Amino acid sequence: MKPEQIAPTRGPNPGDPEPVGSGSPGRPESTEGGSRRRGPLGTRARTAARLLPLLPAVLLLLVFLAGPVAWSFYGSFTNAALTGREARNPQWVGLDNYITLFQDPVFPLALWLTVVFVVASAIIGQNFLGLGIALLMNRANRVVGSLVGLTVVAAWVLPEIVAAFVAYAYFSKDGTLNQVLSAFGMTGPNWLFSLPMLAIILANVWRGTAFSMMVYRAALNDVPIEITEAAMIDGAGGTKRLVLITIPMIKSSITTNLMLITLQTLSVFTLIWVMTAGGPGNQSTTLPVMAFQEAFRFSDIGYGTAIATVMLLIGAAFSVVYIRALRPGKG
Amino acid sequence: MHRNTKLAVSVLMATSMIALAGCSAADAGSDSKTLKIVYEKTDSFTALDTLFKKIKPEFEAAHKGVTVNLQPIQANDDDYSTKLALSQQSADTAPDVFYEDTFRLRSDIDAGYLLNLDGHLDGWADWSKFNEGAKGAGMGDDGSTYAVPLGTDTRGIWYSKPVFTKAGIAVPWQPETWADILTAARKIQATQPGVVPFNMYAGKGTGEGTVMQSFYELLYGTGDSLYNENDQKWVVGSKGFKDSLTFLDTLYSEKLAVDPSDALDPNVWKKVFGELFPKGQLGGTVEGSYTPSFWQKGGSYEWPAYVTDMGVAAFPTQNGDAPHGVSMSGGWTLAVGAKTKNADLAFEFLSLALNKENSLWYDINNSQIAVRTDVAADPTYLAANPFVAAVTDLVSVTHYRPATSDYPKISAEVQAATEAVITRQMSVDEASAAYDKAVEAIVGADKVTK
Amino acid sequence: MSVATLAASVASPRKATAAALSNGILIVIALCFLLPLAWLILASLDPDASYRTQIPANPSFANYAAVLTPGLTFLPLWNSLLLSGGAAVATVVAAVLAAYPLSRYTMRFNKPFMYAILFGTCLPITAIMVPVYSLFVRLNLIDSMPATIFFMAATSLPMAIWMTKNFMDSVPISLEEAAWVDGASAMTALRRVVVPLMRPGLGVVFIFVFIQAWGNFFVPFVLLLSPSKQPAAVSIYSFFGQYGAIAYGQLAAFSVLYSVPVILLYALVSRGMGASFTLSGAIKG
Repeated sequence: MKPEQIAPTRGPNPGDPEPVGSGSPGRPESTEGGSRRRGPLGTRARTAARLLPLLPAVLLLLVFLAGPVAWSFYGSFTNAALTGREARNPQWVGLDNYITLFQDPVFPLALWLTVVFVVASAIIGQNFLGLGIALLMNRANRVVGSLVGLTVVAAWVLPEIVAAFVAYAYFSKDGTLNQVLSAFGMTGPNWLFSLPMLAIILANVWRGTAFSMMVYRAALNDVPIEITEAAMIDGAGGTKRLVLITIPMIKSSITTNLMLITLQTLSVFTLIWVMTAGGPGNQSTTLPVMAFQEAFRFSDIGYGTAIATVMLLIGAAFSVVYIRALRPGKG
Repeated sequence: MHRNTKLAVSVLMATSMIALAGCSAADAGSDSKTLKIVYEKTDSFTALDTLFKKIKPEFEAAHKGVTVNLQPIQANDDDYSTKLALSQQSADTAPDVFYEDTFRLRSDIDAGYLLNLDGHLDGWADWSKFNEGAKGAGMGDDGSTYAVPLGTDTRGIWYSKPVFTKAGIAVPWQPETWADILTAARKIQATQPGVVPFNMYAGKGTGEGTVMQSFYELLYGTGDSLYNENDQKWVVGSKGFKDSLTFLDTLYSEKLAVDPSDALDPNVWKKVFGELFPKGQLGGTVEGSYTPSFWQKGGSYEWPAYVTDMGVAAFPTQNGDAPHGVSMSGGWTLAVGAKTKNADLAFEFLSLALNKENSLWYDINNSQIAVRTDVAADPTYLAANPFVAAVTDLVSVTHYRPATSDYPKISAEVQAATEAVITRQMSVDEASAAYDKAVEAIVGADKVTK
Repeated sequence: MSVATLAASVASPRKATAAALSNGILIVIALCFLLPLAWLILASLDPDASYRTQIPANPSFANYAAVLTPGLTFLPLWNSLLLSGGAAVATVVAAVLAAYPLSRYTMRFNKPFMYAILFGTCLPITAIMVPVYSLFVRLNLIDSMPATIFFMAATSLPMAIWMTKNFMDSVPISLEEAAWVDGASAMTALRRVVVPLMRPGLGVVFIFVFIQAWGNFFVPFVLLLSPSKQPAAVSIYSFFGQYGAIAYGQLAAFSVLYSVPVILLYALVSRGMGASFTLSGAIKG
């Protein structure tokens, strides 16, 4: 069978993920074995039997995802450490880690750098560049389009550690970027040292734009041609068509994309760790880097866990907003 | 359906449980006859790896049925200690014998990672050959010994005679004050563009190297110190701390040292040994007594001319006060893991690695200052390193890091302060104030003193 | 592609200018994206590589030959294969089993469960690495390959269930009904009818999880300690730490060797079913 036949791209709109399962069409209640009538006891047994295949997944999720999250909350109230007295006997220290965290001058900086990193590299960089490429691809020559797609996706498919080295080499003092700049008669700075945030932001745009590009290409493909044609006949110009027709039509894809890239970017660690290790000083220390350093470099597991918990709460807040935005009946 | 579902699920669960349990069970079973040895190995530090590979067959032949499992961790000092600490957390991954930096000893003894060796040392005749300093280095707060040193080291100025001569400075050179260093560096800068006049490490990249081979030589020459041993309190707000930062600031802002961006590279020291000194592109730096190990035959950056081209001087005190020199000493040890199931075997391995013959070989090949009196008197040891007398003399003016379990965290704060200053993110006063605040947060207000 | 075809077929002068402009901008973008990669390829073939991008003076495979040793490349790649393959298999099996009841029965339980799954896809995995580490220590699972595999499976499971359920929704239920009439149980129907029909979709899920696990550095870096268990991502990191300042060419060659499998897999998916297919399966409901 051809893959297209089962591809869910047939749906009305790629960014319309109504939490499925709950009343998707064509799923009549009980289709099993000709639906015999049963008493309440039978129903319960039947439900249990039906839920049984969920068990491995639920087990995995409970042990390896819910467990660590719960542990994260617990651990952040202890002074667990990798070395010293506390490594032998971790104590319950209440809110101490959080009090220290909110007084730590690095914390507001790390929070701010995280926000800058997410906004600049994901919400502005990847999102707009991805949308731009997707729009241009619809107008451009087919060969050029697929070539561009290929190069953009290549950066995305690379393992993160390789992407990080490549970016490190590219931005290093004697790297390719400065080589290009000097070809234009400019002397580039030592990016990783003088402008570490800019370097990691650009690197993350390079690495992550493919995702937005693909989301928007899929979305734009689903915009019915008749609508754009009608607008063209009405004499609407390119920009007007884009703002008035295309953007509203792919609105929910934009929401989905923004949320996903925000959360992905929030947890970027390897790229920053390899390129700058959070430095110089703390100039590119985002929350994941700070959590890693405190926990594993300075051996303060409890404190690192407190930072992790703050990140989890930020992620959870985003998730709630995201899920609300995609609620059935909305968007 | 029920049966099939249940079957499928139980098979899946059983598989996962077996897989999870299987691993630890298997390890536990085989551990009884395996000694796990964890140590550091880098492209420029292979001496210990070579030593262990040499004695592994020897040990296995003497102990039938025992397998020595060598686990070199290929990482720099910081990554090594992170990995080591991570592995100490559970009995399955904890090593039987491991390589440990003296400055982490107290902290790891507190954590319960090291086996008390008192009982074993009593029965080891060689222990009497170790000098008193060495015996103290492996001691915990309780007065028991937990680790045996492989050697020790001192630190001083290593300078390039050709570069100094070209700048019109007479060699051998011995600066009396900090100002003498700056004067010489400025002369080199004026006469030899492209040569780094006088480098001193700074920043978090070089880790413990930043404090041991740079900041403490400055601080302990000001009359102030990091830690007051008498009342067991950490010193904050000292003039010496600020003066030391100011000196580094001067070196870096006048471009007498390497570029700050290079200074933050964890591998900058490889550049110093492998490139700058051999090519005559560096005037001087503060480095350890192990320096010749990189250049001697078989070292990572073989450079026969170091014997004639390099000179050693004591690092001066700030204003030339007595004792006219400052050095720092550290060193690495071998320890037995507290979670070992074969304590006796582990100690036997340790004592084999540290017997006279092996200590001698290691001290020569890693340019260590011998801590065994019989090795220190051995003619081959004395002949192997032309600088052995000079660096051993520095023992008389040497200092040790505070042996407390808070030390690693404080050290990280010192490194952060130097980084903030040389990258111009903070002024000397700001960086010093930030350090004071951080120290107080680590040890508590009652453990600091002005 | 339909819009593009349209744009190409309507041949007015204004359209042509717009197309030329679009082509131009896209080519510039492509060059910007390609430039960093060019270094990787060129350096891997250059025995005298540095961080500069340059055409190798003496191109050779010396760098590849130098890194193609059991300890440096083969063992880490094998470990990567174990980790990623294991995680992908575990994920697909668990996801198919879980997706079946979610797709086929309407239960009160479905909606909250799918919400929870959606929430799970959003968790920043980096954030839980410190607690995961502590938890693994308590459970004595540090340095255990199977445990790391299951953890990686769990982290990609929410997304996988989401995708699998969508694929399964599009398999017509009538085919299973026929099987039920023949007396087959739900699990038999799943195995005999549903899974074969959604094989391409499952392939996508498998490859998706595999690629993610293959590229993951942080998880094995924290959870695996023995040098003999390290996957390529970690061994490449320590290689960089040690020789990064010297052996640029070998680092590049190692990186290329390590990247090729996932690039091939990705090409397989996107050739077979179109790149956007993968994603639309992933993010739409």
